[in-house]
Formats: sequence, C-alpha cells, structure tokens
Amino acid sequence: MKKTPERIEALAAEYVLGSLRGAARRRFEQWMMESAQVRREVWFWEEKLGALAEDVPENQPPASVWKNIERRLWGAQEQPAQAEVRGIGRWFWPSWSVLATAAVLVLAVVMVQQPRPTGEQLSGAIVQANLEDPLWLVSESGAENLLKLRSVAASAAEAGKDYELWVVPENGQPLSLGVIPAGGVHQVRLTDEAREALSRSRTLAISLEPRGGSPTGAPTGPILHVTKLYSL
Amino acid sequence: MAQTDADQDQLMRLLMKVSQQDRRAFQELYEHIAARMFGLCLRLAGQRELAEEALQDAFIQIWHSAGEYHSDRGAPLSWMMTIARYRTLDLIRARKARQTVNDEDLNELDDGREGPLEFSLRESGAEKLTGCLDELSDVQRDSILLSYYRGFTHEELAQALSSPIGTVKSWIRRGLMALKRCLEQ
Repeated sequence: MKKTPERIEALAAEYVLGSLRGAARRRFEQWMMESAQVRREVWFWEEKLGALAEDVPENQPPASVWKNIERRLWGAQEQPAQAEVRGIGRWFWPSWSVLATAAVLVLAVVMVQQPRPTGEQLSGAIVQANLEDPLWLVSESGAENLLKLRSVAASAAEAGKDYELWVVPENGQPLSLGVIPAGGVHQVRLTDEAREALSRSRTLAISLEPRGGSPTGAPTGPILHVTKLYSL
Repeated sequence: MAQTDADQDQLMRLLMKVSQQDRRAFQELYEHIAARMFGLCLRLAGQRELAEEALQDAFIQIWHSAGEYHSDRGAPLSWMMTIARYRTLDLIRARKARQTVNDEDLNELDDGREGPLEFSLRESGAEKLTGCLDELSDVQRDSILLSYYRGFTHEELAQALSSPIGTVKSWIRRGLMALKRCLEQ
C-alpha cells in the first residue's frame, strides 16, 4: 500500500485510537519505522487524544505493583550486566572480603529476633565501632520473604550518594537488594534467588553508591559494612 | 486536573534522571503519576488484575526508554500515559485472542458501570479537545470515545451501538478526520 498523505492521516488516527488492529496495525508500525512523517502524525494524535486521559479518575494501585516493578528490574541481577562489570575491572568478588577486613567498620553482630517454629529466621544488626547504637537492625520474616531494616543510628549518605544493600552469596556476584534509606523502617522483598543465597551465606553488605543506586548492577563504591546474620 | 507547567517541568526533570538510570528519580516518578496512570489502565481494562499488569509493564518500559523521549512526542505525562494505554490495549487483545470470541466478551467489559460511556467522561472529553468533539455527530463521538476509554473493537462497538460493523468503521474514520480538521484550525 502506498503511503499517501490521506492514508497516513487516517491510519495514524486509528492507530492511536486503538481501532487499527492485527496485521494492519503491524503494517502501520512498519511505516512508523520507515517514515518521520508517519511518526509525526502519530505523535500529533497521541498528544491530542492524550488529553482525554486527564479526566479519568485517579486510582491508587496496590503497593505490590511497585514491588513487582522493582523485582522485575533489579530483583535478580542480570548475569550479562555483571559479566560486563567484571570485564571493565570494577568490583569483583574477591574485593569484598579484602575490603571488609580493611575497613574495620564492622565489629559485632547481635541477635534481635526469636525464630518462628515454622522455619528459621535470620536477624542481626549492622554496627559501627564508634557508635553505641547499631546503625540498622535487620530481621527476616520467612513467610513473605521479607527483609526488614530498622534504621537506628544510621545517618544519611553524603550528598549525591545512596546506601545500597547486597546479599553476598557464598560464590559469585553480590545480589542487589536496592537502595536503603537512612531513616525509618524499610522492607525489601527477597527474590527466591536472593533468599536462597542469603540463607546459605547469611551475609549482607552495604556499599556507598551514586544517588539512585549502582548504575551497573554490581557494587561500584566502597563497601561500608558487611554483616553476618544469625538464626536462633 | 489540568497539568500545570510546573508539574510538566518536574516530570521532565525526573524523566531525564531516569534516562540516566537514577532509581530514586524513577520511584519519585512512579509516586507522582502511578495513580493517574492506574486510573486509565483500570478504565480501559475494566478489571484490576490486567490493569496492574499493564501498569507494571508500562513503568518497566518507561525505565528502559526514558532516553527516547523528546518534546516532539508531546508533554512528558502524555507520552507516559500513551505507553500505559497501548500496553493495556495489547494485554486486552492478547487475552481476548486466547478466548473464543463470543457475546460474553462484551458482557465482561460491561461491568456494571452506567452505560457503555459515562456522561461525565463524554462531557470532559469534549472540553479537553477544545470543543471539537461537539462538532461530530453523536454516533461518531461515542464510537471514538468508546474506543479511547474502553478499548472497544469494531465488533464490540457494532454490538454496543446496534449497527453494522461497516457503519461503525466509517463513523470512526469520518469522526477522526472531522476532529483533525477542527483541531488544526
């Protein structure tokens, strides 16, 4: 079919409206890839018809939606990204133990929570030498695969930086559990992979990362804390 | 609920940070627009589960394609809402394709909300498109709005408006072209 201006005009409108379907829709998407004029026509309608969306009543989605988005994007760190990191000589696994020893920030671990009879639950604290209170208390709630962090004496990361929490597995690359705040209670839902790695290694670490978290999926900043969790 | 310039500026800033993989900005963006976007997904899908899935997919797409946004594509909010709307329509279609097409499809969509198109939306739509929808005939306008807000297929429209498919198609086509002539003035 030839791309006459009339056809482009009519099909773009129906494409955006959604009434163009099936093979015709796919053909038109091909046109969009080929022609800037076609794309402009589509954008015109997207903006004009988009105005109709503004008056649809808001509806708060359940919290599980955001959790799922996080899990799908960062929950289980993709292997290719980590391979790249290795390749360009950033952090790789042996550095963790070396750094943790050198940093001498971690002193002790305390037990904070009773396990439930149904399964073992891990808990612990992230502490710092010169502080009486722990920085964060950590406890796991086995049933929902949740890891809860209660911030006690942690202070905000320096400007432009964030703390990022990691599961340090027995072998292989650390798994990100996302950026953690330095105040209040923060919950992380563990993926099956993270849960399994944690129950074997029982080791968590916190690194200092650019704001928003590590851009590579592997730790890029200094490891501030490494802590072992225990079950009673 | 018109978007002020300040809102749009803020969304633009967040979107730029998201394109640089800033997770905190991404979360802020989500908190800012998720309810509005979910409202639209829910309106289209008519059921929560599908709307939730569409919302998730839309944000994942926004994370990956934030860098492709540019101002020719409209205001940032309209660009993101468009992503959510297409995704919802895709999911509706995928789900329908798995079912045999029968009368129940329409019944499912007609989930107890007043009539196929609520009066309030008809009114607000007209206002938003700067009165241009008023220039259309009632059937042209209703076919367009039902497609937009409810994702009705030609078949579903034909059923809802008790008219042959060919007639419905021509209402939409002519309605859209009349709308464009008016919007371009």
